[in-house]
Amino acid sequence: MLRFLLHRGGQALVAAFGVVTLVFFIQRLAGDPTALLLPETATQADIDAMRASLGLDRALWVQYLDFLGDVLRLDLGQSFIQNAPVLDIILSRVPQTLQLAAGALLVALAIGMPLGLLMALTRGRLVSRWIMGVVLACQSMPTFWSGIMMILVFGVWLKWLPPSGTGTLSHLVMPSIALGLLSLATYARIVRSAVIDELGKDYVRSARARGVGTGRLVKHHLLRNSLIPVISITALELSQLLAGAVIVETVFAWPGLGLLTVQSIASRDFLVVQAVVLIGAFVTIGANLAADILYSVVDPRVRLTESS
Amino acid sequence: MNHVAKGILTGLALGVLSMPVLARDITIDLVGEPSSLDPQVQWNPDSYYVYRNIFDNLVTRDNDGNIVPQIAVSWEQTSDTELTLTLRDDVSFHDGVDLSAEDVVFSVKRITDPDFASPQLGQFNQIIGAEVIDDVTVKLTTDGPYPALLAQLVKLSIVPKHVVEAVGKEAFNTAPVGSGPYKFDEWKRGVSVTLSRNEDYWGEAGPFDNAIYRAVPDAATRVADLQAGSADLVVSINSDATLQLQGVDGVQVLSAPTERVAYLGMNLDKPPFNDPDMRKAASLAIDVEGITQGLLGAGEIPMAQLASPAHFGYAEGIEPFVYDPEAAKKLTAAKADLAATPVTFATAPVFDQRVVQALQQMLNDVGFNVSISVTDMPTYLNIVRSEPADNAELSFGRWSCACQDADGITYPLLHSDSAWSRVNEPELDVLLDSARVSLDEDVRMEAYGKVHQINRENVYVLPLYQAAVLYGASSSLSFVPTANESMFLNRMSWSD
Repeated sequence: MLRFLLHRGGQALVAAFGVVTLVFFIQRLAGDPTALLLPETATQADIDAMRASLGLDRALWVQYLDFLGDVLRLDLGQSFIQNAPVLDIILSRVPQTLQLAAGALLVALAIGMPLGLLMALTRGRLVSRWIMGVVLACQSMPTFWSGIMMILVFGVWLKWLPPSGTGTLSHLVMPSIALGLLSLATYARIVRSAVIDELGKDYVRSARARGVGTGRLVKHHLLRNSLIPVISITALELSQLLAGAVIVETVFAWPGLGLLTVQSIASRDFLVVQAVVLIGAFVTIGANLAADILYSVVDPRVRLTESS
Repeated sequence: MNHVAKGILTGLALGVLSMPVLARDITIDLVGEPSSLDPQVQWNPDSYYVYRNIFDNLVTRDNDGNIVPQIAVSWEQTSDTELTLTLRDDVSFHDGVDLSAEDVVFSVKRITDPDFASPQLGQFNQIIGAEVIDDVTVKLTTDGPYPALLAQLVKLSIVPKHVVEAVGKEAFNTAPVGSGPYKFDEWKRGVSVTLSRNEDYWGEAGPFDNAIYRAVPDAATRVADLQAGSADLVVSINSDATLQLQGVDGVQVLSAPTERVAYLGMNLDKPPFNDPDMRKAASLAIDVEGITQGLLGAGEIPMAQLASPAHFGYAEGIEPFVYDPEAAKKLTAAKADLAATPVTFATAPVFDQRVVQALQQMLNDVGFNVSISVTDMPTYLNIVRSEPADNAELSFGRWSCACQDADGITYPLLHSDSAWSRVNEPELDVLLDSARVSLDEDVRMEAYGKVHQINRENVYVLPLYQAAVLYGASSSLSFVPTANESMFLNRMSWSD
């Protein structure tokens, strides 16, 4: 178990290091940010002074080592545009994105899993195909469209929910659904194929032969055994949710990390953009590591095959 | 008992009748949250829409664009380089401390200090001195005669010396104290900024108890907020939204031309546009009205000069460019090889790509060979400011100097000293230099008239249109949008 953990942890560290390096060099490829930070009438002397104050006049490898050190110390710099430490700016937005991600996951799991189960149990029948159609529609609708449609129907027309913004639980409903729809389809399809897999296995047949009813079978055997793919998919979905949040938060003016990213790109606040990319990558790496570990706890076979 | 009940009822009735008009808040949807509320740091619209209500400026522009007193009640050019201003003596900051000449001098020195590194420095760095003469008089010194000084002072907000010195730059930004008609209340990061009315304001404070500014980046969501009634005023909508809002009860669309002028920049050192005939052909090929009315439709106005009616130095009687593609084709056919030279059209994502593509199409229709090159903004800025040999043949731009003075557009785009300019025409340089330093308005007007005429005849830079902005608002709100995109709460009114 320890070897397995060390192995996976090492892999995660290498990935994190790669991301930091990539972010640093991509940002240097994108050009000199000083031209954006200064007004159009700035002289060459102004530009040189700004470059010096940002440390951009030093050798590239010095800047790179400096950057690595800063990341290790969690020093993400000072936003030139907002006049505040980048870490503070980002931390102030994390709770909103967590709320939204939790809401979306709830929508996806609470609706997606039962739908998947239903599709598996009614396999081959018309009702299964209908559900599949709905699930596919959910997955195919672009969020920027479904979001605006929801706002127009439930916010403007029916006036059931506030069209945008934050503050109350009712503000969370539409963004959660909009973001959750994508993952909902994934869960429904994963659960469906996992349950169908299980249904063909011997223990299900013998349980049925012993007269175990469908309800009991689902509750005690099928769900638990179908859970493993759900866990690993959740880790992947988390990064999908972060990516989807950029659009959903923009449409619903939900003040999380996604909206911060869009606003920072618009105001050319490159340190904040860089930090969001780093944190997004770290979260994804961390979630995958957690899934691997959780996986091996739920299913000992994973652990054994890995270490042999 | 009956008497008591009657008494209570009468009291209630009197109370209700004598109550002031119901408390009224205004909710305004901006695109993003303010970058800063310190008025001497950032000056993007999302920031100044908010902080211009918290702070007073030395002078301001009325809704017609005239420069009128605010903190300064009067001013006098005491020499070619000295402006003496007399201040109001009845202004106090939101913390109760009186605004003094010291604060004005402090504000000028703060924003012009190179170490403070304000992005607005370029607008004020011709001011080299500020001194207190007495309690209500200050004197500003410029490094030469500077006719646009008052136009720049419109944007110079007065900050309280005692607060800024006590709390520092970062804390002042998160809890600004000004002397304006609205006080800073709360800044929920990423969500909203709330202001409340300054009941002790020296002038008209406006009809709203509170103003809530929210960050709503998606234009369709801003329009939906307006329709649902959760916002009273929304900024930056496009003409599609105008169609959507037509016939919706309780909503109006407001439009105003701004002081931004869109233009087509041409490289005069490279073929094909080093040839005057080709530049003439380009001007004939472009249907500016088609672009302003068919494509944009927000109230943009075709321009034949690098200025707009919102600028000092706008010349009446500059003939509009004629749209005549047949005449353009004749010019390009006469020099078909030259016209077919491959042309790179530099642009960046911030510019409206529909306009860029329309321009490309119109030019290619008459025989040019234009291809668009979209790059990120830093690369675009590098390209358009580089030496002619490295520069693109064409570039699209929308210029704003935020000063409403022709100097702010014509000098950077037409003077041979400017990194932005491809033009090297001694006569233009002389005219631009004289207009830049003369304090005689007639001399300046005449010089700019000639500048516009020379540019019109030679088509060094092809002016296209004066850009416009659209706002969506509740029908109950009366709000006059202005060319400098101000949004003063105390100039609005509300009628239910």
